[in-house]
Amino acid sequence: MQTHWDVGEPDAPTINKDTEQLKTELLRLNMGPQHPATHGVLRIEIWTDSEIVAHAIPHLGYLHRCMEKHSENLDFRGVIPFVDRLDYLASMSMEWTYAMTVEKMLGTEVPRRAELLRILTGELQRIGSHLMAFGTYALDLGAFSPFLYAFEEREKILRLFEEVSGARLLYNYIWIGGVWNDWTDDQLARVSTFCDTMEEEAKKYHDLVSMNKIFVERTANVGVLSIQDCFDYGATGPVLRGSGYKWDLRKNKPYSLYNEFDFDVPVGIGEVGQVGDCWNRYIVRMKEVIESIKIIRQVIDKLEPGPIMGKVPKIIKLPAGEVYVRAECPRGELGFHMVAQADAKTPYRLKVKSPCFTNVSLLPHIAPGQMIADFVATVGSIDIVLGEVDR
Amino acid sequence: MLNDLVALINKNVPGANAILNQAPDAKLDSSITVEATSIFKVCEYLKTNSEKPFNALQCISGVDYMERMEVCYMLAHFDVNDVREFILKVILTDRVNPTVDSIVSLYPAANYQERECWDMFGVTFRNHPDHRRILCPDDWEGFPLRKDYVAQKNYNGMEVYPDNKMNFEDREFIVRQDLIKKAQTAAATKA
Repeated sequence: MQTHWDVGEPDAPTINKDTEQLKTELLRLNMGPQHPATHGVLRIEIWTDSEIVAHAIPHLGYLHRCMEKHSENLDFRGVIPFVDRLDYLASMSMEWTYAMTVEKMLGTEVPRRAELLRILTGELQRIGSHLMAFGTYALDLGAFSPFLYAFEEREKILRLFEEVSGARLLYNYIWIGGVWNDWTDDQLARVSTFCDTMEEEAKKYHDLVSMNKIFVERTANVGVLSIQDCFDYGATGPVLRGSGYKWDLRKNKPYSLYNEFDFDVPVGIGEVGQVGDCWNRYIVRMKEVIESIKIIRQVIDKLEPGPIMGKVPKIIKLPAGEVYVRAECPRGELGFHMVAQADAKTPYRLKVKSPCFTNVSLLPHIAPGQMIADFVATVGSIDIVLGEVDR
Repeated sequence: MLNDLVALINKNVPGANAILNQAPDAKLDSSITVEATSIFKVCEYLKTNSEKPFNALQCISGVDYMERMEVCYMLAHFDVNDVREFILKVILTDRVNPTVDSIVSLYPAANYQERECWDMFGVTFRNHPDHRRILCPDDWEGFPLRKDYVAQKNYNGMEVYPDNKMNFEDREFIVRQDLIKKAQTAAATKA
């Protein structure tokens, strides 16, 4: 297998340099709100100089439901289905983080089996979410078949989730204090089989897409972000790791039982193109799939029978005060800022720090000087879900 | 760790008047309150100092306490060996027209976060380069996450809060009954 393509140095942005004297009036182009490359209802106002983007201004809010206001009227358990609908491709991770927030304020101890099942579902969800990112990214760049391959595998994960939770996308499975339903040995055996096939499939994807000449030409050296850019704009997750910074909350600030697990944190190392470009962000996701499989195998070895729900009062009332809890979701760090008042059955304030929202704020920074087609590749590589951006 | 930080801020930023809000136990998070007028200088110090730098702003969260408005800045340092994060707060006593300095020139991440805080709470950020609403439409009225917010009746000829779709009886268990009553009386006077 060829591991390196020589794609040469990145082209310097042509705007404001040689073409400066040719520059005429800028043309306004609306990308979205209904555009296949924006993965939802994001509208980006692009000002172009011929083929080159001069400014990109994202307009958010087309999917705004003000979930934060809704949650102020719901009891603490009732918020979970609303949290599901933030990042609808990674609902398990969303509800897990929310449950952790309430559990921290309650001081609940979660039983070991429940924690392991949470890690199992969380990592399966990460694989499912990255498969979706992989499929749609290839679709953005004009390859249709990887999308179908990815969905075939993702479907197996959704089947399993459907069996344990009753729903395919929006689960309401991880509850405050534990999980709702137990996994049977038969289902766990199917997870093991899935891990084996997924590993084989990942190799196939690698041959089919990652090292594909056309794909490499479209993504390498495009949309390069330095580590400093990521810090400045608060970018986390695969975007930060794609820029070569080894930062993963599961390793650096372990929550749940992650400190018991042996896994690596993949970062962009510039095998193709340069560190921080679209290709590196993409390959970080594909490598994370392999790491998640590693974790899932360890979970299955560690699982022992036991209770799956901790002791939680029937009516949850939190102590007056605030917490800020963050966790590593497929798209970056999700944070919940919860303010509670004494003797209240509802959150006083619930602020969602969404990784996609901060990542979208990067777009006006990277866009100037890119070709329009490259900009589409950049938006895809950031991997946004609009349910979470607009909340 | 926050004790040291309070001392450092008070030593290096005159007039910051930093106070530690100690949480009673490990279930809750402690935070640091500083004067609203000195938020820019405090953030500048926190970002650039060599002892305990904070290189990333994670989010800005407003909280409306009815008698005052609070803006919370979640600052973090992404360092593999020394993970630290804390909540920095300013208290704005003027709830009608809360104003605070923008920190966009220090942390570009604050751009969207401050716009969201303006959109949802009506907090004005001085010197913000692009001070617009972000999630609601530009011509929307009111600030949704304020506790006394009542949605407008009409927006561009569309009915926002149709009375026939408001199921008042079923929603009585909701905590904010006073606001529902307000909406009911408003509907009654209109009819």
